[in-house]
Amino acid sequence: MDTKETVLNILADLTGDTTIQNNLDESLFDSGLLDSMATVQLLLELQQQLDIDVPVSELERTEWDTPNKIITQVDHLRNA
Amino acid sequence: MHYKLTNLLEHIDALALNNPSSCYQDEAGQHSYNELYQKSNQLAAYLQTLNLQTKAPIMIYSDQSFMTVVTMLAAVKAGHAYIPVDVHSPNERVLQIEEIAQPAMILAIQELAFTVQTKVLSPTELQQATFYQATALDSTQSVQGDQNFYIIFTSGTTGVPKGVQISHNNLLSYVNWMLNDFDLPEHVSCLSQAPYSFDLSVMDLYPTLALGGQLKAIGQDITENFAQLFKVLSTLDLQEWVSTPSFVELCLLDKNFQQANYPNLCHFLFCGEELTNSTAKTLLQRFPEARIFNTYGPTEACVAVTAIEITPTIVANYSRLPIGFAKGDTNITAVDEHGTPSCAGELLISGPSVSKGYLNNSAKTQQVFFKQDEQQAYRTGDLGKISADGNIFYRGRTDFQVKLHGYRIELEDIDQNLVSLAPIDQAITVPRYDTNHKVTQLISYVVLNQPLTDPNTALKKLLAANVMDYMIPQRIEVRTSLPKTANGKIDRKTLMAEVNRHA
Repeated sequence: MDTKETVLNILADLTGDTTIQNNLDESLFDSGLLDSMATVQLLLELQQQLDIDVPVSELERTEWDTPNKIITQVDHLRNA
Repeated sequence: MHYKLTNLLEHIDALALNNPSSCYQDEAGQHSYNELYQKSNQLAAYLQTLNLQTKAPIMIYSDQSFMTVVTMLAAVKAGHAYIPVDVHSPNERVLQIEEIAQPAMILAIQELAFTVQTKVLSPTELQQATFYQATALDSTQSVQGDQNFYIIFTSGTTGVPKGVQISHNNLLSYVNWMLNDFDLPEHVSCLSQAPYSFDLSVMDLYPTLALGGQLKAIGQDITENFAQLFKVLSTLDLQEWVSTPSFVELCLLDKNFQQANYPNLCHFLFCGEELTNSTAKTLLQRFPEARIFNTYGPTEACVAVTAIEITPTIVANYSRLPIGFAKGDTNITAVDEHGTPSCAGELLISGPSVSKGYLNNSAKTQQVFFKQDEQQAYRTGDLGKISADGNIFYRGRTDFQVKLHGYRIELEDIDQNLVSLAPIDQAITVPRYDTNHKVTQLISYVVLNQPLTDPNTALKKLLAANVMDYMIPQRIEVRTSLPKTANGKIDRKTLMAEVNRHA
């Protein structure tokens, strides 16, 4: 499964919003879809499903606040 | 040293007066014990001049700051229980609590952005009142004995919160146990992360002050920004950590969260939800010099009533960790569904830290509080197994109360609040569990009476005006109908099974 599909599946599951793929540049925090505890779940799922370690201590919310930004970040970590 | 405090306020005052060492560190910096003493006394003296109704509680619109602690102590010194209500609470919830509690006053640490009936002391007025000197505090009026010290509101099944009344004697029993049974060092430096409206905060606040220690506060704005959180955490020089297991799981995501970077961190105390074997195991590996304590207790019995040190042996022996042994002055028994004493069943707690009941709610109080051998007792709704040596194992609930990230939620509370929204006819909320029996998500199924575009987002927004953010389900799914039981009620168990097929 590619990064985009995996990330979108995880996000849809965590937020219950199946229309996320239509709003790839909308902030997940502004819309209330993600909170900090859901972000922890997201990171754990990414770790388990894609075997990547997200450097959580460097995680700036502004770089992880839309589906597209998350996909870019995850892609970057997978190729690192 | 054996502690047997008889008056918590006098004990804290005795070590605070003229003591220049720091008792609290927040975003504004360090605050000394003497400052705590002077400001809380002066504010209390001022409150006594206002002719507030005797013994009526005072609501504190609170945040994670020194000023909140000053204000809490001032309220009890003036002779009033305090009700901490976090500034992140939705307006509707503050108003609900105001209506139930009928407070004599609201002390606003931050500006209230909405209208209330009760007289409010604004942040500026509150600041000024901490310098009040015209009259002295009459400490004979201070909260003592069986009088209420604080009242904390929790989720109620009817959609209306319940205020748990904790007396000075309840709190004293709890604090003495903390000081004697956890081997905490004097002048301990302790994390203060749990909001003061959540009774887990009492686990860091009063034992730390009673030990002449220092609280290191981090507010919600920091915990929600991970980059900032880890930067701040490592500078706090903590010795003691108090949090929910969920919060430490978040911290364990950072590889640098380990002993080398937290050399003095020697105590981890957990409460509020189940501590999983894997979290304890990881933590012991990361912090080989630290001692981990798992504790358990409902707000109704004052923070915690059981404890056990989680050693590597315990981790190796129990896949589901025990919650430990009852504190010395407390009796915990289990009863089966017929009320007959048993080694497994619903846990009953009796002892000096059990609350007198819910504020202005005798119906709910009578349902769950009773007397047992002259002691106040509480029917927890928690299921447990008690081993021959007294070690207790948590096994779930008798009802539909869940813990999500340490917060206690009645699923019916969410249902009621959903149904009260105009577009919703029926609603039912179910928890989704992971393989460690922990709730990871709440999912609500609703039947609408009108079409909505993007109902998931729209309904969450509407709900957010009425309930705490942790009570907003992660998913709200629209159905044309909901499954019913034989007697016509919505069938929560069928939906729970559907959601948890993996478990």
